Amino acid sequence: MVTIGWRLRRLAQALFTVWAVITLSFAMIRLMPGNAMGAMMVRFEQQGMSPARARELVELRLSLDPDKPIHTAYVEYVLNTLQGDLGTSVFHNEPVVDLLAAALPWTLFVLSWSIFISFFIGIAAGALMAYWEGGKLDVGLTSWAVLMGSIPFYVLAILLLIFASYRWGIFPSGGRQPTGVEAGFNITYIRGILYHATLPVLSMLVASGVASLGMRGNSIRVLGSDYLRVARLRGLSDYTISTQYVARNAVLPMYTTLLISIGEMFGGSIVLEYVFNYRGLGLLLYEAFNQRDYPLMMGGFVLITIAVVIALLIADMTYSWVDPRAGGQNSDSY
Amino acid sequence: MTTSQSTSLDDPTAADPVVEIRNATVRFGMERGESRVLDDVSLDLERNEIFGVVGESGSGKSMLASAMLDAVVEPGILDGSITYRPEAGDPIDVLGLTTNELRTFRWEEIAMVFQGAMSSFNPVRKIDTHFVETLSAHDYDVDEGMERARGLISDLYMDPERVLDSYPHELSGGMKQRTLIALSLILEPDVLVMDEPTAALDLLMQRSIVSLIEEIKEEYDLTILFITHDLPLVADLADRIAVMYAFEFVELGPTEEILQHASHPYTRLLLKSTPNLASPIEAMRPIEGSAPDPVNVPSGCSFHLRCPLADEQCVEVDPEAYSVSDSSVSVTGSDSDSDLSPDSDATSIPNSDAGDHVANCHYWEDAPETIPMTEEWDVEGIDAIDSAPGPSRTADPLVSMEDVEVHFETEGSFLDFFSEPDTVQAVDGISLDIYENDVVVLVGESGCGKTTFGKTAVGLQEPTDGAVKYRGQDIWDLKRSGGDGTMSFDTVRRALQIVHQDPGSALNAHRRVGTSLEVPLKRWNPELDGNDRKSRIVSLLEHVGMSPAEDYIDRYPHQLSGGEQQRVALIRAMLMNPDLILADEPVSALDVSLRVEMMDLMIELQEQFDTSYLFVSHDLSNARYIAEKTGGRIGVVYLGELVEIGRPEEIIHDPQHPYTQALRWATPEPDFEGGGMGGESPIREIDVPDPTDPPSGCRYHTRCPEAREVCTREHPEPNEASAAAYHEAACFRTDDHHEYWNSPSITDGGD
Repeated sequence: MVTIGWRLRRLAQALFTVWAVITLSFAMIRLMPGNAMGAMMVRFEQQGMSPARARELVELRLSLDPDKPIHTAYVEYVLNTLQGDLGTSVFHNEPVVDLLAAALPWTLFVLSWSIFISFFIGIAAGALMAYWEGGKLDVGLTSWAVLMGSIPFYVLAILLLIFASYRWGIFPSGGRQPTGVEAGFNITYIRGILYHATLPVLSMLVASGVASLGMRGNSIRVLGSDYLRVARLRGLSDYTISTQYVARNAVLPMYTTLLISIGEMFGGSIVLEYVFNYRGLGLLLYEAFNQRDYPLMMGGFVLITIAVVIALLIADMTYSWVDPRAGGQNSDSY
Repeated sequence: MTTSQSTSLDDPTAADPVVEIRNATVRFGMERGESRVLDDVSLDLERNEIFGVVGESGSGKSMLASAMLDAVVEPGILDGSITYRPEAGDPIDVLGLTTNELRTFRWEEIAMVFQGAMSSFNPVRKIDTHFVETLSAHDYDVDEGMERARGLISDLYMDPERVLDSYPHELSGGMKQRTLIALSLILEPDVLVMDEPTAALDLLMQRSIVSLIEEIKEEYDLTILFITHDLPLVADLADRIAVMYAFEFVELGPTEEILQHASHPYTRLLLKSTPNLASPIEAMRPIEGSAPDPVNVPSGCSFHLRCPLADEQCVEVDPEAYSVSDSSVSVTGSDSDSDLSPDSDATSIPNSDAGDHVANCHYWEDAPETIPMTEEWDVEGIDAIDSAPGPSRTADPLVSMEDVEVHFETEGSFLDFFSEPDTVQAVDGISLDIYENDVVVLVGESGCGKTTFGKTAVGLQEPTDGAVKYRGQDIWDLKRSGGDGTMSFDTVRRALQIVHQDPGSALNAHRRVGTSLEVPLKRWNPELDGNDRKSRIVSLLEHVGMSPAEDYIDRYPHQLSGGEQQRVALIRAMLMNPDLILADEPVSALDVSLRVEMMDLMIELQEQFDTSYLFVSHDLSNARYIAEKTGGRIGVVYLGELVEIGRPEEIIHDPQHPYTQALRWATPEPDFEGGGMGGESPIREIDVPDPTDPPSGCRYHTRCPEAREVCTREHPEPNEASAAAYHEAACFRTDDHHEYWNSPSITDGGD
């Protein structure tokens, strides 16, 4: 431990988390109430399969063999998972990896827009609030931010659905792409995609409330700092001061918040995509729950966890690029 | 109040003020009423002088600095007039400038250096960006300017390339402060306002920077307004000094006049209250009372509540500026521009006759008699000081450290997974015994490991090697084994306590004083009920001078002054009935005039509670005060090693290690006798070497003026340094027969 840098330790930690998740998913298949294997067998038998054939299929789909000793099965499962073999979906009858790979881009599309727009709005609003601290704008925006921060996103989603879709008919109530347009790189198709993604993205904007309050606090702190006073006395332009001094320093702590919120949004996408009937990873998983499609559930579970672990790993590892003070050297190194 | 300036026409400097401040007043509207934080101050700053402004915290001295640049923070309102007279061109009315003109004026004509150099740089941008953006904001030629920046940085004894390519946090405090000075001079201003530019630094760095300021002033043809709370520090530097009290000047005059013939009672009391090395400790007295609130400044003379001379007249009539110069006691002349008396140091103070000596006191003539500076003053006696006898150091030690090492590791840079991390040898092989009722004061520069060593001594930091023993038991073994029945780690924890440097953050801000103090009692004296606890706390608070104690019990820490907070922190430690208290710079956060009082209190509590102290301080005069009063020892720490230890007599008057001598040099002394004390700096390098890569041999050899070739190879061990008891030093020079004496010197030419 002594000679290992914290980055190596951090990486080991991330790998440990991934391993733990895979192990957990393995345990869950075997321990889940209702017995996942039994449930699948029953289903296949109901479809008129012979028990032997059903059993064969289950083993294949779950990529496990109940007759093997548990440790052998476990090692095989872990190895399969690490090689990207997450088994075959019971319901779709396709490899889980293919299903996830097809759904993931849609969810990432909505998520990245949600995160980008909410942080953009949050940072801008927070900066304005800090600049006019105590003024009408500050009070107004703070109330807005508190409201946004306290509404669950699915409530906003339903409200948007009721008004923007059913009542006024501005946006579609579900789906992810326009019907009747050929998928490809053409303007109609891209516009259709954006059109369908609008309401899901808007519902996720509740995150901007918390972000703006954070930004407001950070900016006020920076505005009161000594280096800002010195910068003003040095006669720097307002533009330099607001971008290079205030914004740069106030945004720094938001960086970690941003990457952490990726994880939260992944979790939220299950409900969100269900509400908007948006065929992404979230909806896929939701259906998997309903259909007791265990391989798909586990695959999605593992995928989301790994995505969050990677996001946090990136946040930790790159923070020293964003903030030079977070690098290894302490202030006494010279 | 106005300060009259000499009107004599044949004095060239007096007729050439660079800044004229007239009736400058800064007001803040507050809920409790209007607060005046600068009260009708007038001042002529002569071209090319160094003008010192001395005042305690909350005396309005920083406001004066802000006013010079018309940079008073909102909602403060600045009235009066400030005129800047450039060498060529028309005078500028600073307060009449438009925002854009002001933006040009600041930094190009008058620049400023702040106290908070640590936080004066944008933490996410490199140092060179700060220079470049300043140059381009003022439409200066960047290449030419950066050339000048490099020159400035090397004039301040730093490596320009390395400094410019660093992020602010990569520089040490002293380097940051010097870089800030360079940044303030980048646009070649005529006037430099320095607001406590050295307050956050340790003494050696302070002294080094003060000497640099003199050089810089000559080279760049500057006028400097130097603001500080530390009279002895500025005395060595300034041509004239003004003393501020309650938001106005109370005394102003040439430096030597102020030092030798201080005529305002406040100045005299301030001089007496400042811990120093020269005066006998009995002569150091705190000033009674506290500085007034800006909303409610006393009528008449603002000092009358604390002044031993005050009478009716002082309460009713605000004193004018009385001229002291025609006093018969003065040796430096009269209203006329007489020559300097022969015994003054005329060369070091070129402008000493630039202004008259004035004091705002009705009884300035009586002040010297009522408040004598030199009552028991006896130059011979100083060297013959004799500290208290101190404890017997024959019994078993209370805490004993054997060859203690603490090494920290620093991390490598990004994606630097496998390289060997650097090791900071914060403490490297120190042995020290602390006895019952003993006092040891550790002195040294910042980053030399004295605090880490202190924390190791009280069991807050586990040593990486060596042993820390409490009454013969290794405390870390004890912690691991859980105790052997006779003693547990809990006992040790209770017996060894700490008082921090910053009392404000050491107390829980959301707990009332009474609640904070109750915690240790509840934990360690469960037999006491609520009333017993309360009466014990009340009596202790009364004892340390916080009365009515019932009132203080219900206060929160922010409702206390710094001195009061430190007292509460001290009581809290004392309530544990500890055997040893680590006091980490306990007085450096306090105003100079309060330090003696606080130290007296600590010494008194030591006797009462029967404890030992381990003090950590960067200030040799504080160290001397405490060690001398208690009969303790002073230990000098350099780069993780104890280089010299001894009783204050030896450390102050017969220092053997060159590093101790440097610290001695760095300690400013009020110079009542006239004649400079300064002298050449005894260190060859201003900055402490990188602790991750300490120099070979004797660690001090890179800065030592006496270093010889052998010092670079061989490591000196602690040795008996003189005939005096307990005096040890780790220097070859203490051994008359060492090969050092035949070794060639490395100080000249080789560096």
